[in-house]
Amino acid sequence: MPFNFNNSNVATRENRIGSITGYVGTLKDLAEKSQCGTLKGCSRCFSQSSTCLSTCGLSQLAAIRDVAVIHHGPAGCSVASSGSYYMSRVMAKKRGVTSSTVYVGTDMNENDTIFGSTKQLREIILEVNKRYSPKAIFVSSSCATGIIGEDIDSIVDDVKSEIDVPIVAVHCEGFKSRIWATGFDISDHAVVSSIVQPPREGVKSNKINFKNFFESARPEIIEMFKKFDLEPVFLYCNSTVEELSHLSESLATTCICGTLGNYIGNALEEKYNVPYVRSINQCGIVGFETWLREIGKVTGRSDKIEKYIEEQRAIYLPQIEEVKKELQGHTAVLGMGPGYTFEVSRVLDELGIKVVWALAWHYDKKYENGDVPPSMKYLLDNDIDFEASVADQQNYEVMNILKKYNPDMYLSRHPGSTVWAIKNGTPAIYVADEYMIFGYKHTLEFARSILDAINNRSFEENLAKRTKLPYTDWWYKQNVDAFLEEAN
Amino acid sequence: MGELRQIAIYGKGGIGKSTTTQNLTAGLVEHGKKVMVVGCDPKADSTRLLLGGLAQKTVLDTIREEGEDIELDRILKEGYGGTRCVESGGPEPGVGCAGRGIITSINMLENLGAYTDDLDFVFYDVLGDVVCGGFAMPIREGKAKEIYIVASGEMMALYAANNISKGIQRYARTGGIRLGGIICNSRNVDRELDLLRAFAKELGTKLLYFVPRDNVVQHAEINKKTVIEYKPDSNQAQEYRNLAQAVIDNKDFVIPTPMTQERLEEILMEYGMMELADDYKI
Repeated sequence: MPFNFNNSNVATRENRIGSITGYVGTLKDLAEKSQCGTLKGCSRCFSQSSTCLSTCGLSQLAAIRDVAVIHHGPAGCSVASSGSYYMSRVMAKKRGVTSSTVYVGTDMNENDTIFGSTKQLREIILEVNKRYSPKAIFVSSSCATGIIGEDIDSIVDDVKSEIDVPIVAVHCEGFKSRIWATGFDISDHAVVSSIVQPPREGVKSNKINFKNFFESARPEIIEMFKKFDLEPVFLYCNSTVEELSHLSESLATTCICGTLGNYIGNALEEKYNVPYVRSINQCGIVGFETWLREIGKVTGRSDKIEKYIEEQRAIYLPQIEEVKKELQGHTAVLGMGPGYTFEVSRVLDELGIKVVWALAWHYDKKYENGDVPPSMKYLLDNDIDFEASVADQQNYEVMNILKKYNPDMYLSRHPGSTVWAIKNGTPAIYVADEYMIFGYKHTLEFARSILDAINNRSFEENLAKRTKLPYTDWWYKQNVDAFLEEAN
Repeated sequence: MGELRQIAIYGKGGIGKSTTTQNLTAGLVEHGKKVMVVGCDPKADSTRLLLGGLAQKTVLDTIREEGEDIELDRILKEGYGGTRCVESGGPEPGVGCAGRGIITSINMLENLGAYTDDLDFVFYDVLGDVVCGGFAMPIREGKAKEIYIVASGEMMALYAANNISKGIQRYARTGGIRLGGIICNSRNVDRELDLLRAFAKELGTKLLYFVPRDNVVQHAEINKKTVIEYKPDSNQAQEYRNLAQAVIDNKDFVIPTPMTQERLEEILMEYGMMELADDYKI
């Protein structure tokens, strides 16, 4: 799909890649309908809240070191700033660096809504630049500025002559898309269009752009890549503007999660010919090896990588096989973003656990290059099928499924989701860190965590006994798609 | 003194809503009525003829500059014959949200106690097309219950009037608002009177009054006056007095029955197409 970096606006995932938020059926049916083009998303006549795309988009940008995010909207829209602020400070401390990134809300009031407030926005941009000297400035819209059609682009263009660092308009109206991952695309679009520079002449790089969330496996990945004479550049957490400006010089781009990396990977490939590694992700043995081999192929380092795989297999495979024996035949339900839902389903299958239902918070029919997401393709090619739904973080649907299927475990990557399962008496595993199943070592740890969770159920059982969940018996008897409206 | 009648005037942009409202107001004043005119247009030109110029500071400008802790007389000016004039105002074209502005300023008027017991009529003169919810504010929440649409025999004026009726129909279901009739501000279109009557009938209402075209209206406007003040003895002044009487006497309030585009075009064909079609002979 062609990218348009002359326009600061990014089309939504729904429009660009046919993403949906409502579906109930099976994995095979979902895939077949995606491939033949008949998949239609359903809406819900009742819906619990989900996540705002601006939180996703702006928290990505606010994780970059020494930049300013200016959120042009009412104070309530900037509520995510505290979380972003906390996260960027903690992550910088963890890494041993400092970040002076600021997240500023413009505190629009009723008068600003009626008369427009581009004049005030202009002053705020200049003041932020003067006061904090950021290395880049991201000026974001909000629902309120979107509704009144505030012309942020003109103001940003206008102040460019007075500001020496990159400044870019970021269109983050929350109502734009039901899919929060559109926010990831918006942040990538801002970075590629305004921070990334064309490759410098004669610069030879051994770097791999590595899109991830919180870089917790940074030291071990650096160490591993050293063996292949490669160097990872993690983004955006703790990235510097300088680092980002050279993303175009790297040997390849890879990511920990297809949902997160799809836009920037494809964009860098299309604009600067940086190959995007489109394998299944690094979770589990098959995922890790497939990914490493792809890296080897793209960077011409296959020999070194095969040697590494052989060494690691000898260490870890026997241990994983031991744990697998005890996991055989257990059942699982999982609810995650679409990247991880299908990646983790694959790992569970690898470990001998039967997935009975997978809920993806949304589903991308295809990625930016037009292909079905690799995680999905892998499951189909290996004839793995299970019941699946696209659930937009609808907790009542999760609870309906847990009650009906009574699985041995529930896995989720989103805060709060596992708590509900635990209250229901279902052992739950919170796959919070994106590297929790990364490579041989963490796959072994993950398998042990599962074993631990299913063998020690007294907490869940006791909590469930003392908890009354808000759902009625009536709801548990309904089909999970009871509130889905027919697609049209 | 009877019950306060709150009236909203709608109609296509440029059809003459402000001119008609102010001349009608002057007519009502002559009948001894106490009237307040609330301009609901960012251009703030709804009270120019009553005030003798655009001297008015708008509600929104006042709030913006002085905050909400203001006295009513900062935004309410007295005009011709003791009429009370308010302009809600709004942003410059192309920025901000004028609709939100109307909502804020009408709420402000209420808070400041502008609706006093001695008033007989309040008119809301609303910007051309009802482009968003803000411009429907005067007919929501039990404010104006009575609506008149200003139209002419031109197609786009009738098209707009039909669209506005759709909005009225929507609010009529929940609130008590009703259409009081069509006021024709004549453009001297052929068979205009017949067309307007037929159009009003199709909407389930009536043609309340036919105001003929007369250049004295433009002369009065140039002089920043209503016709009644500028040329009290003219025929047109009498027309506006008659219009005022028609409004006072009107008892027919209906939920309109807007028509389909096809039906509207049929009516236009029936009345608008002349037997002697345009003469193209050279």
